[in-house]
Amino acid sequence: MLDVFGRRPYLVLLVLALLLLAVPFLPLDDYILHILTLFLIFAVFATGWNLTLGILGLKTLGHHAFFAIGAYASALVSHYFGVSPWLTVWIGAIAASIAGIVIGFPILRIRSMPHVAIVTLAFAEIVRLVFSNLKEITRGELGFWGIPPFNPIEIGGTTIRFGLGNSFGSFAVAAVMFVAIHLLLLVLLRSRAGLTFLAIRDAEAAAESLGVRLAAWKLFAFGISAAVVGLSGAVYAHYVLILTPSSVAGPEMLISLLAMIIVGGVGRFFGPLYGALLLTVTSELLRDFGDYRMLLYGALIIVFVFAAPAGIAGLKPSLRRKPHQAASEPAEAV
Amino acid sequence: MSGTQLVELILNGLITGSIYALVGSGIALVYGTTRVLNFAHGELMMLPGYGFLMLAVTLGWPVLLSAIATLVLVMVLGGLIQRVTIAPLLNREDWAFQVVAATIGLSIFLQSAAQLIWGEQFQGVPYFFSGVAVIGEVRMPWQRIAILLIALLVMGLCGLVLYRTQIGRIIRATAQDAEAALAVGIPSGRVHTMVFAISAGLAGTAAILLSPLVTVSPWMGASYLLKGFAVVILGGLGSFGGAVAAGFLLGLIESFGVAFVSSEWSSVISFIFLIAVIWARPEGLFAGRGQ
Repeated sequence: MLDVFGRRPYLVLLVLALLLLAVPFLPLDDYILHILTLFLIFAVFATGWNLTLGILGLKTLGHHAFFAIGAYASALVSHYFGVSPWLTVWIGAIAASIAGIVIGFPILRIRSMPHVAIVTLAFAEIVRLVFSNLKEITRGELGFWGIPPFNPIEIGGTTIRFGLGNSFGSFAVAAVMFVAIHLLLLVLLRSRAGLTFLAIRDAEAAAESLGVRLAAWKLFAFGISAAVVGLSGAVYAHYVLILTPSSVAGPEMLISLLAMIIVGGVGRFFGPLYGALLLTVTSELLRDFGDYRMLLYGALIIVFVFAAPAGIAGLKPSLRRKPHQAASEPAEAV
Repeated sequence: MSGTQLVELILNGLITGSIYALVGSGIALVYGTTRVLNFAHGELMMLPGYGFLMLAVTLGWPVLLSAIATLVLVMVLGGLIQRVTIAPLLNREDWAFQVVAATIGLSIFLQSAAQLIWGEQFQGVPYFFSGVAVIGEVRMPWQRIAILLIALLVMGLCGLVLYRTQIGRIIRATAQDAEAALAVGIPSGRVHTMVFAISAGLAGTAAILLSPLVTVSPWMGASYLLKGFAVVILGGLGSFGGAVAAGFLLGLIESFGVAFVSSEWSSVISFIFLIAVIWARPEGLFAGRGQ
């Protein structure tokens, strides 16, 4: 358990929340707020994915599909039916969750890692192609624009506006979602459910023999994970206000998020968050070298898998303990 | 549907299918022998595409010589990838996922590197077989027919090596139990490298056959990778023959699917078929005796 959450996870989250609370009082320009907003959205995405990938131990590779489903569902409903985005983001989350449970069914029967990886990847490709081919509704790769931002709210006479260009409001929405989702997941994972997920990850057969209903728990994890990712996608849609199938469900999204999780630490609760921060900031710093972004992500994934498979979150404890892990570099086969 | 159309659909399906079979059987061979899912397999198709382009077009070498040189290079590259990025991970606890992650990283790294080196403009290779075959009412360029014939020849050759030679027996022994093979003196590490080289050769063959028909681009492998994976699962994970059969089946499904819906949906049909099969028969369509 210590491995997954680190020490005093609630305290860590509290510190993060306080830091986020302080951000609006700092003299930051809109551009930095924009980067922080993107970081918060992707951190929620990465944490949601890590739920199945790292904590349940099912190596799913198609969570960008749930991001896209959440984003498109919320954007389409709010655009075509004039429903407030404050409501449609939940429709996005629920749609993603249903999709997660549906794709969970064929996976339940299989324990082999390749099957799970390929089925989820194929599912993501289906989702991308469907959004891209339904041109009458989504405008395909031309991009779906005209997504309404969150409706302005008034607090004590000041109106807070949202969407790209209104950096404070957008940052506030992302920050509230970030803290709330992480708090909820922390409560969930510190309860019986979290123990069950870890039991399934570490010893599936043993967990089953002790009466853990694998199918129900896996579907539950899939549903929650997809809902979290879908919610982050919906908030993303109402922030950037334009979606294309390849930008939300394409391979670049898969690689970016996978890099965040691996760099941060697979299976560590706070790992993906560190990874999201590091990679969002570096990719913005390297904005002028846009072509090199994927090169960097690819290289980072390889370097971390080889040198630090537990990611940034896994670096600290191994420094304190004896570095016995470094010594277990595997011998090569003859 | 007239007879001509039917023949045309079947031929097109078999031609597309032969590429899927070449890509998929290579992935299956690697998975069957080493239990490694190589996500950089698509780049073993993209890089020989560029290699062949440079040798045959830029340097103007004869087609056959360029093809042989490309195949040798890509086989060395395949072996090198196994040695450098995959073998060192195999003794770790969570190696299955770490190999997947590392090869995904390698794949995107090579794609972006290719994009930086050769740019985004897509390049084609001229046909190396001219003329049109006329089968009854059906007219089909020899270039396309050649894909099917050469693919069958190459995969047949691979099958012969696997099931009729000493090397094949060694590979199959390693596939069954690498440790036991090691115990009777088979250097299973070296066998793994060799299998990667063969698999790279199959992908390279696919790339060379395709290069006159599709444009060579940094992403040409990525689009076939997922189809290759689908083929491997449909054929029963790790079965060489199953993957070949499933490759042709998938090609036929897409070809007939396109006859009824527009072509942009053909991949959707394939992947839905894949998920349906996994739901109903997770062991694959052609699973039978053992591995």
